[in-house]
Parts: sequence; structure tokens; C-alpha cells
Amino acid sequence: MGADVMDADVVDRYMTELGSRLRGSKKQVRELLTETRDSLADATEAHVDRGLTEREAQERAVEEFGPVREIANEYQAELAVAYGTRTLVWLAIVLPLMHMAWEYGRMLLIGPWQDFGTRPPAWYLFVAQANDLTSGIASGVALVALVLGRVLARKYDTKLLAKAGATIALLAVAAVLLGNLAIILATAHVDASRLVQSLPMTIASLITWIVIVRLGLLARRCLSCATIVV
Amino acid sequence: MKPDALRGHLDALLLATLDGVQLHGYAIIEALQQGSGGALDLPTGTVYPALRRLERAGHVSSDWSTVGGRKRRTYELTQAGQRALNAERDAWREFTTVIDGVLGGGGKWAQT
Repeated sequence: MGADVMDADVVDRYMTELGSRLRGSKKQVRELLTETRDSLADATEAHVDRGLTEREAQERAVEEFGPVREIANEYQAELAVAYGTRTLVWLAIVLPLMHMAWEYGRMLLIGPWQDFGTRPPAWYLFVAQANDLTSGIASGVALVALVLGRVLARKYDTKLLAKAGATIALLAVAAVLLGNLAIILATAHVDASRLVQSLPMTIASLITWIVIVRLGLLARRCLSCATIVV
Repeated sequence: MKPDALRGHLDALLLATLDGVQLHGYAIIEALQQGSGGALDLPTGTVYPALRRLERAGHVSSDWSTVGGRKRRTYELTQAGQRALNAERDAWREFTTVIDGVLGGGGKWAQT
């Protein structure tokens, strides 16, 4: 009886060790662990029905499930892909929406740039156009990555897909960040007063930066989820 | 049968197990073991990531439901999954026909 009680924790110990090795969306981790616990409970019941003691049944169930390190590695690859997918969806939706909202607000509250009296230099227009394009391109790249991820899901190693998705997400955010930084520095160089022309637009710009930084943190977490996979 | 030999075929085996039925994870594992007469020696924990991979590919869909007081994630084939299964079966038949033609009997390989 004493041994049975002590070893009734075999599944719990396995679950604790497995859970401690997983990183990703809390919901995804919880779902995977729930499914795992159910599977181990089912296997234990089946082995008990075949005549094993509870202790033996749990040990057999855990042994059949696989070494915790190996299983955690496979789970982590899936969690990393899921996190990458979620981040890419956010990038594909938020970046163009945010850019359109900012441009619409700017037209409404400030008006076209040429209304400022002097036409900005050619290099400034180039930076502005490049910044306008960056969000669209980053969003498009995220969308293509999502489609390719689905098409290639069974053709390529999950670990490779997780790392590729995370890298794409990080590069897309970095490009948008650089584009925004470039236009701010360029505007400050041409006419710094334009940066504080309208309080609502200054607030909108701050919100834009908060969103970009948030997306950057998501992308970085995405990469850390993908790179802990061996 | 060795796990390494099975790994490349796990997706197809899972698709075949879900052909026409809706099953939860452990029921899939049991069906796989029964279908193979117990010869499949694969860590059962590898089935769950494989199911997620199939779901990502759009070949399987899943849903949570409560069965016997326990929350279960059940899986079923999608239309794309059914097409993928048919393609896997065709490819397997072609493969075994070719290999059997060489190794099976009557060929020079069988006589040596």
C-alpha cells in the first residue's frame, strides 16, 4: 500500500517535468498537458485492467509515452510553430491597419505634406515612400510565410519551420521599426516642428511605437521558443 | 518494428486510423497498436505532436468535448486529409509493388 501511494505520483512527476520544459502560449501548453495527462490516465487504466498494480501501470504508461526530454522537444517544436503562427497573423493584420490608421489620421488632422509651404527634398520623399511600403511588405511577407507554413507543414521538419517563422517575424518587425525610426529622424532633420504639429497625431505615433515594440517582443519570444528546441 | 522506421510513415498511419471515424488521442494510439497487432513500437507521446502537425497542414481538425467526465480533444479527417490519405495509399501501393517486384520473388535478388 505504501509503495503504491508513493508511486501513484509517477504520472505527476512526469507531467511536472514535461511542463517545466515547455515554453509558448499558456493556452497551447495547457491543452497539450491536459491531453497528455488524459492519455497517461487512459493508458494507466488499460494496464490496470490487464492486471498490473496502479504503480506498475503508471510506470508502464510513462515508459510507453516516451523519454520526457524527447517528448518535450517534440512538443516544444509544435508550441514554437504555434507561437510563430500567432505572431505572423498579428503582423499580417496589425501592420497595414496601423499604417492606414496613422495615414488617415494624418490626412484628417494635418493634411498633405505639400501644404506646409515648401516641398520636402527628394531624399526625404524616398524615405517616406520606403516607410510607407515597409508595413505593406512586412505584412505581405508574414502572409506568405503563413501560407507556406501550412503548405510545408508535413514536408519540412517542425523545428526548422519554427525557426524560420520566428526569424521572419523578427525581421519583419525590425524592418518596420527601422522604417519608422528613419522617417522620424528624417522629419526631425527637415523640419522638427512637424513632429509635434498635432497633439492627437503625436499620441497616435506613440501608440504606433507601443504596438511595434509589443510586436517586437512577441517576435523575440517566438525566436526564444524556437531556439530552445534541440 | 523500430521507431525510426515508423517515423516517416506516422502521418500516413494517423490519417488511415482516422479514416471515417472521430477519435481522441489515446483511442488513436490504441487503434494504431491494434491495427498493427502490437508491432508498432513508437513512443506514444510522439503521436500528439504529429496530430498537431496534421492539423497545421489542414488534414485533421480537432475539437474539445467532455467524454465520461473527462475533457477530450477529438480528431477527425478534413476533406484535404481524406485526399492526402488517398494519395498516401496510392504512393504506398506503387512503392510496395516496385519493391516487391525486386525483392519479393522470382527476381535475381530473390535467387541470390
